Amino acid sequence: MRFIAEDAIPRLLEHLAGGGRTVWAPRVARDSVNTVLFAPWIAGEPVETGAYTHLSAKATLLPPTERLFGFSYLQTAGEERIELEPEEPEENHVLFGARVCDARALAALDALFFPAGGGFNDPGYAGRRSGLTVITLACTTCDSACFCSSFGKGPAETDGSDLILYPVANGFLAEPVTDAGSELVRLDLFQDSPLDKPELAVTDRIETAGLREKFIDLFSDIDLWRQVSEKCLSCGFCAYACPACHCFNIFDEMSGDREGERCRSWDSCMFYSYTLETSGHNPRPEIAHRYRNRIGHKFSYFPANRGEILCTGCGRCIRGCPAGVDIREVIRAVQER
Amino acid sequence: MNTIPKSGINARMPLLPEKASITRVIQETPTVRTYRLVFDDPEMMAAFSFEPGQIGQMSILGAGESTFAISSPPSQKDYIQFSVMKTGVVTTAIHELSAGDRVAVRAPMGRPFPVSAWKGKDIVIAGGGIGMAPLRSLLMHLLDRRGDFGRIQAVYGARTPADLCFAGEREEWERRDDVEFIATVDSGHADWSGRVGVVPGVVESMSPPAANTVAVTCGPPVMIKYTLESLEKLGFAEDQIFTTLERRMKCGVGLCGRCNVGAKYVCTDGPVFSLRDLRALPDEL
Repeated sequence: MRFIAEDAIPRLLEHLAGGGRTVWAPRVARDSVNTVLFAPWIAGEPVETGAYTHLSAKATLLPPTERLFGFSYLQTAGEERIELEPEEPEENHVLFGARVCDARALAALDALFFPAGGGFNDPGYAGRRSGLTVITLACTTCDSACFCSSFGKGPAETDGSDLILYPVANGFLAEPVTDAGSELVRLDLFQDSPLDKPELAVTDRIETAGLREKFIDLFSDIDLWRQVSEKCLSCGFCAYACPACHCFNIFDEMSGDREGERCRSWDSCMFYSYTLETSGHNPRPEIAHRYRNRIGHKFSYFPANRGEILCTGCGRCIRGCPAGVDIREVIRAVQER
Repeated sequence: MNTIPKSGINARMPLLPEKASITRVIQETPTVRTYRLVFDDPEMMAAFSFEPGQIGQMSILGAGESTFAISSPPSQKDYIQFSVMKTGVVTTAIHELSAGDRVAVRAPMGRPFPVSAWKGKDIVIAGGGIGMAPLRSLLMHLLDRRGDFGRIQAVYGARTPADLCFAGEREEWERRDDVEFIATVDSGHADWSGRVGVVPGVVESMSPPAANTVAVTCGPPVMIKYTLESLEKLGFAEDQIFTTLERRMKCGVGLCGRCNVGAKYVCTDGPVFSLRDLRALPDEL
């Protein structure tokens, strides 16, 4: 296997960022001591290869808010007309330091926003996704909120990554998954190494077998949903932290009264207004209804439509929930019903 | 089932609308106005095609975008029509528009009524309030292909005579002898000589035989609920009854998430559902 020394990582990042390419990497957030987020890397700044990021890597592909197009109302010869300016898609080039839970969520997002078989392409997502190299840090340790061992190959999953870095003494073993990864390990920054891959973390698990049908059977058991969502504040943090949640809102912003832009931003099915209709009718008026939809989308609806569970066990929703809601306890309560 | 036709929506940029202009505004009722519009790009207008039941998104850039049923029939190539009830922020802004004003449109979206499977069948249509909009498109389409279908019966109800839309069309449907059309109101008026009574009751009084018949209903939830009961009482099976659903929508192409009922998205799997499809969904309407 190939090996890269810890102190060669900055040079790897410099190489990746050559030619003005954007490299997203885990970095301590501005004005923060211990909050680590994915952000575009700036030469000379440290990256956090040992920390958990508080939010997932999805912002590299779906920014919290993005402009879809600009518009202006123009007056020519007394006649008004509209001008539309579609946003030029940005390009990303490298996502460095994703975890397996981030990388495998990309497959779900790709299926929706950048489907291989054609259909609708989302230009913003497609621009950032095409040509993106994903360099993943494998996890040899985990914390009490991690539960990715519940899904597929767990911490050994390679889906979504181009290159996987396994932490070993003084550096990382590098395992290419795709051609882009193979090309990278041929760089001089990497040397051959006799070391074996380290033992990977073994996380907590939830049982997902049969969940898709079980959820439908229990859909009308409102007491269950009220009980499991009792602590939930409906704040939506879980959706924002999630690598696979992707729901969005669309809205217009004016600047002056002749021009403006149409934007989209992250949204959450936990918000009351998400499904509120103009008539005042809301199909999901209670937190229990909305939490049920969150669980249903991840473990029943998305699997029914796309064959994949829309949760990668990253545990961010558990670590960050201000009310202490734990999705694993919810799934266990459902499975025990 | 049908897939979304690619003609009106930009497959490469599905959230980017097409520029369009209002050509005519019709005040239908105190709260409903009908807007006729054309795409500014004549090629887009010429290529535009859809089927009854499909929906579109109309924007006033700066105010926002809302979803409406297309209420014109596919044979109407001169304009696309939306009938808009003034209820929220965007619809209130739309009600300020007049002929010549510039808007933007994404259409068509969603699955239409499976009309081609209805050849040779009798058809019953039951619409209420603004729910008549997609049924106007459907009824006009059926009449365009009158020879393809058997008996056509249609009921359109509103709360009061002043709340009934489509005055000109109603007059024509009442006059024609190849469609049995009844307009009805919940409460009458001194000037109203027509039927007084709720839609389900009128449907029952017409007693359409269920054999070889398809029923289509759209309207306020309570009207739909009782109309479905009436139709089942008349012997209609779940796969003979169709309705169109409404949900809050944003993207219209199955990405933004909010219009799901269980695993189905109203924007791409609907808005047209058979009662059989509907009953297979989790109860979250």
